[in-house]
Amino acid sequence: MNREASTVTDATSSGRGGSVDGGVSSNPASRPGSGRRTSLARFTPSGLPWVLPALVVSGGLIYYCIGYTGWISTLDWNGVSLDRRSVGLANYDRLFQDPVFWKSLWHTALFFVTTTVGQIVLGLLFAVLLHSRVRMVAIYKVIVFVPVVLAPATMAPVFRQIYAPEGTFNGLLHVLGLDAAAQPWLAQPGTALAVVISIQIWASTGVAFILYFAAISQIDPEVIEAARMDGAGNMRVITSMIWPSVRGTTLALITLSAIASLKTFDVPYLVTNGGPNYATEFLGTFIYRISVPQSAVGYGAAISIMLLALATAMAVAFNIRSRDRGKTDA
Amino acid sequence: MLETRSRTAQIVLQVLTTLLVVPFLFPLIAMVQGSLAGTGWANYRAVFSITSLPIFFRNSVIIAAIVIAIVLVCSLMAAFGFAKLHIRGKEVYFWVLLAALTLPEVVLLTPLFATATSLGFYNTYLAVALPLAALQIPFTVLLARNFIAGIPDELIEAARIDGADTFRAFRDVVLPLTRPIAGAIIVLTLIAAWNDYLLPLVFLQDPSLQTVTLVPQFFIGQFDNDQTKVLAAAVVSAVPEIVAYLCLQRLFERGLSAGALK
Repeated sequence: MNREASTVTDATSSGRGGSVDGGVSSNPASRPGSGRRTSLARFTPSGLPWVLPALVVSGGLIYYCIGYTGWISTLDWNGVSLDRRSVGLANYDRLFQDPVFWKSLWHTALFFVTTTVGQIVLGLLFAVLLHSRVRMVAIYKVIVFVPVVLAPATMAPVFRQIYAPEGTFNGLLHVLGLDAAAQPWLAQPGTALAVVISIQIWASTGVAFILYFAAISQIDPEVIEAARMDGAGNMRVITSMIWPSVRGTTLALITLSAIASLKTFDVPYLVTNGGPNYATEFLGTFIYRISVPQSAVGYGAAISIMLLALATAMAVAFNIRSRDRGKTDA
Repeated sequence: MLETRSRTAQIVLQVLTTLLVVPFLFPLIAMVQGSLAGTGWANYRAVFSITSLPIFFRNSVIIAAIVIAIVLVCSLMAAFGFAKLHIRGKEVYFWVLLAALTLPEVVLLTPLFATATSLGFYNTYLAVALPLAALQIPFTVLLARNFIAGIPDELIEAARIDGADTFRAFRDVVLPLTRPIAGAIIVLTLIAAWNDYLLPLVFLQDPSLQTVTLVPQFFIGQFDNDQTKVLAAAVVSAVPEIVAYLCLQRLFERGLSAGALK
């Protein structure tokens, strides 16, 4: 597995520096964006027909929808009737005064920080442990990775059952003699959000683990052996040798986790339905609630535009980050 | 990586790892145990007696196949174009695609709904498959472009000297080399399409078109909220995914973690 994963890493990272600015790349032959220089430039009149299908299917559909959403966001409309009234920016005005909007923003931020830290710590821990002298590595690996594959929608009823007042989790606490800790997990604001966060960590740690596992295989064992000779303990090896050398993986995981946080919908919608009292409302569930059951598509579109602005800001931030990295790598 | 000189240390490490893994296994055990509560195996008999169950799987397979076909063709072609061919304003087009990378699907709901109903797409496979493909393509193009950029120009140049046109160079030289990245793209797209919940929820009203992710709701209605049978249905939905993963472990781990390698 290590070998396989590292080939993808190599292949994808070789073009990383050049993918954005067409500038710095470790491999001169693979410098994109500078086609003028190579003889391939004269290979064909234009490569446009080759990229057109992707541009039409993806760009066309997405930008059409974004434009449409922008227009709808200035309307008072239920989505089907012919009666739609232009209200200017009133939907945005309403948005900034809506406490549920600020709540869902706050939940998204909290969700991002906690799930990112959770999966990074657990993923790295599993990777280090399974690189040590432990038996049954293959079995542990499968158990940690299976949640990545399963659909959140399939698992949602299971989690509702686990955290129900008479559910598996309270039953487990009872067996352990911790009856005092038993509580209606999904019915209280604080614990409901904690449950949603824990489900996301459960579902995403597998990816962090696989990436860290591959990254650690790249570290030269002799370097670590030398450190041990100099008297470095286990903790010291993890914090000063392993952690710095997997930095690239950590940054990639943070990016991925930020995108996932903005997209969060299935788990809060299906497990807690955004409740109790909006305690697990996220931008995705908020937009859905407003646009579909409440049919206030104008207002829903305004929230969508805010979500888009956030997503774009994030994409720009990460691209600046990877540009910087591309330069320092080379 | 961790030092284990003594036998005790080794046992401690093994126990620690096991304890850490238990919470990951716990939901799966709870799922199976819950599905066998009450009437036991009769829960499964009840689930399998629903004749429309295979329909949900068929629909998921059809939608995933459509999405994979669109994504694979579009992204390999575009990646070749972006990595190896001359396009005026190439970076602009590339950025147009990349900007859509972080787009959450919920943003597309209203415009898609309005458009799909007016064009008669509503309640068809395409209403789900097209947006899914559109959302997947930016990322797979990025992935494939970086991969194809690593193929030496000399190989393509050699094909050209032998008289091949662009299409034949792509088909005979580039395509055979892209197998690893194509595998990653297929797995990534398969999981994204198979596990998607929101688009089928909104765009597929007809039960004969609905996907596996909508099975829990269907069964909650069907069995009057009998939790044990709903969990049995969850087990039945989860098993194919787990089996597929176990059979193609390497491909799945590589494909799904490729999601983090920009």
